[in-house]
Amino acid sequence: MARAAIIVCWVMAIGLALFLIAPLLVIAAASFSPTPVFDLPLTGASTRWYGRIGRLDGFWPSLLLSLQIALLSTAISLVSGTLAAIAIARGKLPGANIFATALVSPLMMPGLVLGIALLQGFRAVGFTAPWATLLVAHLVITLPYVARTMIAGLARFDFTLIEAARTLGCTYPGSVLRVMVPALAPSFLIAGIFSFLASFDNYPVSIFLADVRTKTLPIRMLQYIEEAPDPTLAALSTLILSGTVILLFVSDRVVGLHRMAGTSD
Amino acid sequence: MSEAAPHLVVRSVSKRYGPTTVLDHIDLTIRRGELVTLLGPSGCGKTTLLRAIAGLAQPDTGKVELAGRDITHVPPHKRNVGVVFQSYALFPHLTVAGNIAFGLKVRGAARREIDAAVERALSLVKLGHLAGRRISALSGGQQQRVALARAIAVEPDVLLFDEALSALDRKLREEMQVELRRLLQDVKATAIFVTHDQDEALTMSDRVAVMNKGRIEQLAEPRELYLRPASLFALNFVGLSTRIAGTVLAAGNGKVEVETKVGRLSALGNFQAGSPVIVAARPEQFRIGEQSEANTAAGRVRSVVFQGSRTLVEVDAGAGESLLAELSGRDGAIPVVHDEIRLSWPVTETFAFPMEMQA
Ligand SMILES: Nc1ncnc2c1ncn2[C@@H]1O[C@H](COP(=O)(O)OP(=O)(O)OP(=O)(O)O)[C@@H](O)[C@H]1O
Ligand SMILES: [Mg+2]
Repeated sequence: MARAAIIVCWVMAIGLALFLIAPLLVIAAASFSPTPVFDLPLTGASTRWYGRIGRLDGFWPSLLLSLQIALLSTAISLVSGTLAAIAIARGKLPGANIFATALVSPLMMPGLVLGIALLQGFRAVGFTAPWATLLVAHLVITLPYVARTMIAGLARFDFTLIEAARTLGCTYPGSVLRVMVPALAPSFLIAGIFSFLASFDNYPVSIFLADVRTKTLPIRMLQYIEEAPDPTLAALSTLILSGTVILLFVSDRVVGLHRMAGTSD
Repeated sequence: MSEAAPHLVVRSVSKRYGPTTVLDHIDLTIRRGELVTLLGPSGCGKTTLLRAIAGLAQPDTGKVELAGRDITHVPPHKRNVGVVFQSYALFPHLTVAGNIAFGLKVRGAARREIDAAVERALSLVKLGHLAGRRISALSGGQQQRVALARAIAVEPDVLLFDEALSALDRKLREEMQVELRRLLQDVKATAIFVTHDQDEALTMSDRVAVMNKGRIEQLAEPRELYLRPASLFALNFVGLSTRIAGTVLAAGNGKVEVETKVGRLSALGNFQAGSPVIVAARPEQFRIGEQSEANTAAGRVRSVVFQGSRTLVEVDAGAGESLLAELSGRDGAIPVVHDEIRLSWPVTETFAFPMEMQA
């Protein structure tokens, strides 16, 4: 019986993994299609669609915008989210739990709702500059990732380490930099990656705040697919996918993927 | 500086957290090269006193002087005080050698100097072979040594240990007590050692400060603390004793006659007639039978506990009082349970303490 159960579980696990990965494999295969219309079985391979990515209308400005917004919002979130997490984990803040819940609540909200709410909110206060509204909106998206990861990281951080550093000759800020930051490096890395990815591929919030000249990459990609569905988009997706895989692989080498999943420390 | 010169002086230091007075006008003077233990129950303020000396807690009143310098308002990083924390507080992102080098690096010492100091500290704690290890790959005892080496490496004016051995198992702790004491003497360190383990205090220290509710009840050499406890609290906290309540009948010449439920007893102490007191004596002062210049009391043996070189005998003296005697087989037969025996103990080893709220 137990044997059978284990076999069922294994089949389930393998099946699910295939189910999750299959679309990614299909898109990777499609990106090497020699013909504009992707067809199975493949009749050869071509990399010409990769060459076309750069010539897509408005591709470079969108890529640049997405990178800018993702990097900036991640950087700001890392600093402010960490400080907030310290206040929650360390300070004798009354209602620290409520505060923590509020900080991570955007994670639980549908992106669409968040997008509409932000749009209405910004309009109400007359804040309409597209680039700036995008940045602020993406802060709302990225901050919860950072706050959640840093609160968890700080809960395991022993603040006596800072006192030890101080008695060894470090100033207080020096101790934070020399001891707390390196000890929390894995948390920073995890928070940074999730925050960057959450911002970089966000569609539902950005769509409400973008205008004709300020379009993030995901918005631009959806537009391409409506205009001309050829394998160029598959090539671009495959590139983004490879970038993500490399990022995750490198950070797994550094801190371990199981820590990112939050299953153990 | 001479050996006897005061090195660390704590003058009337007080500290309150909200309504609780955690340190109540603490005075403490420690000589250069001396090892003093702070001994006291949980919550009596030991850690807070250490933190005040290290600069991690600011006292409300009083002064702290170290090596002839008033450091009351000096921040911790400029005090040159070494601390070994109970949790060791080793930096997880650094190796063993990296931890030990930390203090010298932030002081901007030269590379060669740092390497030499790290090597010296490592060999002192016998961990030379583990220099490149990660902290997480060390046993508790090894972590303890790294914490010590890290504190010693910067050659602090005083070393503070906050229950540094309490996380180790009993056998390792006893080994470390002896080793640590020898090591501290070798490097001529001045040190304060916090513990609530009386054996550790007696083993490790030149002097022991017994703390209670934010005050130092007695500061004395271990032997004196045991033989001449200054208060009932000190008597209770260090070692075993027999304690009998009574009322002073007559007093004079530093002696008192006390009426108790087990009869009239003589004791050392200065009280007025009529004062309620506790008469106390250490178990090893008791003998079976009579002796001259002694108090005596009789009773029935309640329990006999064999402890190797000695045997602890508890005698029910009636009226709810009991006597605790430590007998060595040499002086005659060891009684058995239910024996009726008479015990005596010298008047000069019997003390009277004011009856107060017992701690
Ligand atoms: N930062 C603080 N805020 C409020 N109260 C404190 C603080 N630090 C210590 N106390 C209180 O001061 C008292 C003494 O604490 P301290 O840590 O000095 O005791 P201790 O003698 O070291 O005890 P233990 O043996 O349990 O370590 C305790 O009642 C504690 O609750
Ligand atoms: Mg303590």
